[in-house]
Amino acid sequence: MNEFVKITFRLTLSCLMAALVMGTAFIFTDKAKKHNEHVNVQTTMLSLLGYSDLNPAPKELKLYSLYRYIIEEKGTTYLGYMVPVTESGKESYELLKLNLEGKLMQRVPMNISPDAAAEDAERATAMKEALKTEQGIAYQDRTVVARLGDQRLAYLLPGKFGGFKTFINVILSLNPDFAIRGLEIMEHEEDPGLGAEISQNYFKNQFRNKSFERLKSLDVIKEPLPDEYRAYLNAPDKMDKDKADAIIKQYGEKDIYALTGSTISSRSVTDGVKNMVKRFAYRIQVLNDVIADQKIPALI
Amino acid sequence: MNASIKRSAFRPVWLVLALLFLLAGCEKIDNPFIKKGGFKDARSIMIEFAGAPDASWVSDPANFKVFQKNNPDVLLPVKQVDVGPDKKTVFLKFGEDLDLKLAHTVSMASIPSEGKDMGASFLDVKKSYFGYLFSILIGAMLINNYVFTKYLGLCVFIGTSRKKSTAVGMGVTFTIVIVISAMISWFLYQFVLKPYRLDFLQVVTFIGLVSLTVQAVDTILRKVNPALFKAFGVYLVLVIANCVIIAVPLTLASAEYNAAESFMLALGAGGGFLLALFLMASSRERLELANVPPTYRGLPIAFVATGLFALAFMGFSGMAIF
Amino acid sequence: MAATKKTNSQLVLDGIFLENPIFRLALSMCPAVGLTTSIKNGLLLGTAVLFVQVFSSCTIAAIKNFIHPRIRIPTYTLTIATWVTVIDLVLAAYVPDAYKQVGLFVKLIVAFAIITMRLEMFACKNSVSASWWDGIGMGFGFMFGMVTIGFVRELLGSGMLLGYDVLGFKPLLFFVLPAAGFFCVGIMMAMFNYVEVVYNRRKESKS
Repeated sequence: MNEFVKITFRLTLSCLMAALVMGTAFIFTDKAKKHNEHVNVQTTMLSLLGYSDLNPAPKELKLYSLYRYIIEEKGTTYLGYMVPVTESGKESYELLKLNLEGKLMQRVPMNISPDAAAEDAERATAMKEALKTEQGIAYQDRTVVARLGDQRLAYLLPGKFGGFKTFINVILSLNPDFAIRGLEIMEHEEDPGLGAEISQNYFKNQFRNKSFERLKSLDVIKEPLPDEYRAYLNAPDKMDKDKADAIIKQYGEKDIYALTGSTISSRSVTDGVKNMVKRFAYRIQVLNDVIADQKIPALI
Repeated sequence: MNASIKRSAFRPVWLVLALLFLLAGCEKIDNPFIKKGGFKDARSIMIEFAGAPDASWVSDPANFKVFQKNNPDVLLPVKQVDVGPDKKTVFLKFGEDLDLKLAHTVSMASIPSEGKDMGASFLDVKKSYFGYLFSILIGAMLINNYVFTKYLGLCVFIGTSRKKSTAVGMGVTFTIVIVISAMISWFLYQFVLKPYRLDFLQVVTFIGLVSLTVQAVDTILRKVNPALFKAFGVYLVLVIANCVIIAVPLTLASAEYNAAESFMLALGAGGGFLLALFLMASSRERLELANVPPTYRGLPIAFVATGLFALAFMGFSGMAIF
Repeated sequence: MAATKKTNSQLVLDGIFLENPIFRLALSMCPAVGLTTSIKNGLLLGTAVLFVQVFSSCTIAAIKNFIHPRIRIPTYTLTIATWVTVIDLVLAAYVPDAYKQVGLFVKLIVAFAIITMRLEMFACKNSVSASWWDGIGMGFGFMFGMVTIGFVRELLGSGMLLGYDVLGFKPLLFFVLPAAGFFCVGIMMAMFNYVEVVYNRRKESKS
């Protein structure tokens, strides 16, 4: 019995010590982790817009987030958009409930600041307040709209689609006319040396400058990537302007050159990007019509 | 000993069959006039009606609204509607490939048949959940085999694959422990760690649970079935030193699987380990007799042989079943 | 085994060469195969293992008289898991990009046989300072193994070293494929064996 007490005591003490060490480590690192994650996403987004350390973003550049929900109410499906709005200088959100044909059904002002809306929990509470129910609200996706002054500069769409093995997570940046500005592969589990090459510049930069019309019929071709095009794709901003223009003119309208030995991965990315843009272009046009129709002071 | 190995190896199979049987009857359709719907191939959906709908209605693609369940506002254009020879089966053809991994909905406003209106319907078309579960099992076992494609659990793998009997013993013990511990850790993660935002304690919790499971299986087996304990007891200690046993709960935590899916993944991981051990043991028994250069004898040649297996398993990569 | 009589430098060198955890002891093989497509991954995981090994060894050596013999193994596991959690949190917070690639393996250090084994064989019988040097030796030995395999695979597979293009072409794509890790480890183990055989032969012929 004595031994039993001894063991229990020592084990408890060890556990307490361990908890103390882990707890301290957590407290010290948690803030840095959140901060770094935030910075990381921010830099990726800025670099997709074409800004870097050498070419810093102007002060007027602002990023606003648009959140999309699916709302099920009494057997009917609606789309809910949380749209950033400005009212006498104060920025908040407004919920637009649209039916599937794109007609506005309901407009609810929401009392939530853009910073608070970035937190999942805060946003869920705000949605609950706005719709007075918890049932049937499903978060779908987020679109970031970059504005320079009161001009729309670009859209940033985070997205996810199936790859050769599992899912591929990307962020896509689009011009206001839906031409592709850039593509960034965030996460994937393709085979190293084969499908994993999708995250290389010479593959993902092929999507740059493809217009919406071209994108609709974009395909994958199994041809070797020409050397000069590869050199351009690896560092598109470092090449001098005339040469780069000549290369864009020659190859800009081509299909996507598949990666050697990974045609399926290449095709997955191409099809995934194509679907993302097509769907988004349709939705944002519907939303634009509603906003213009109702004269909503939207910040997108 | 042989009989006991067989018995415990087959027990999980029965469990799986029972589970699948329960899940198979879960599909429901909102309109009795529709018998079933499903994907035929990448570009067509098949709908089977109970009677023959009017030919003029059926042949008009505008009567079928098809969309992905999570994108209800974006309609997928139906290019053409074909009617089967029995007039009851209808095939909707699309111009582009459908994403077969997602659930689709076919919405029909009112279905006329022989002068009567059979009502509206939202028909869900998706691959059966049964097939999805099975694909998780096969995925963890072959396509993403933990030993050959994720390179985990190698110490134990190399250590216990010298003889077939040891290999089977280790594999079966491991499968049992991993299924139990993965289920407990799934439960604990979903209902304790996640709600209270204690994610960072994952490692400590999971390794603790594995030790507990091993201890519990040890104690129970010793009392209940001493014969079985004699056969498998020695391997129980080794289970803790196997990375797969920690990797599976970590995967479950990040992939947000539900209970049935977690069970399948754990079973697949265990089964995959058993398979890998058995294959390796079979080839190593042969290697014992081969004339291997002295510097390669033992571990080095075992690694090269594992490399060959891994190359072969790469062939499963990207395979999609169901 | 009584307390070790080796000097500190001997402890470190043994960990790197004679008792190299990857090539000689053949423990913790999973990362040696799975994470060696580049030197950087090897360095990062090596650092993590070094940290966990050194701190766990020191902790156990410091509290060895306090540990009840019947709960020896659970205490080891708890110690290792604690330090793994700490290094996991630190890496995730300060090097998020690199962590993405090695994340799973950092968590899996908790199941690496090498660390438990060193605690059981060495730390629980020796002083804190000896355990410190032994931990450093084992940690660097592991890192040495990882970097050597990573060097071969990165150079031959993608023609690069530490992410810089040195060859300008890819000699053998095969080496970055997952399966090639097994071949590399197998062949390098055989090379270590060969060196030992030659060394012993020389010694014999001298005497």
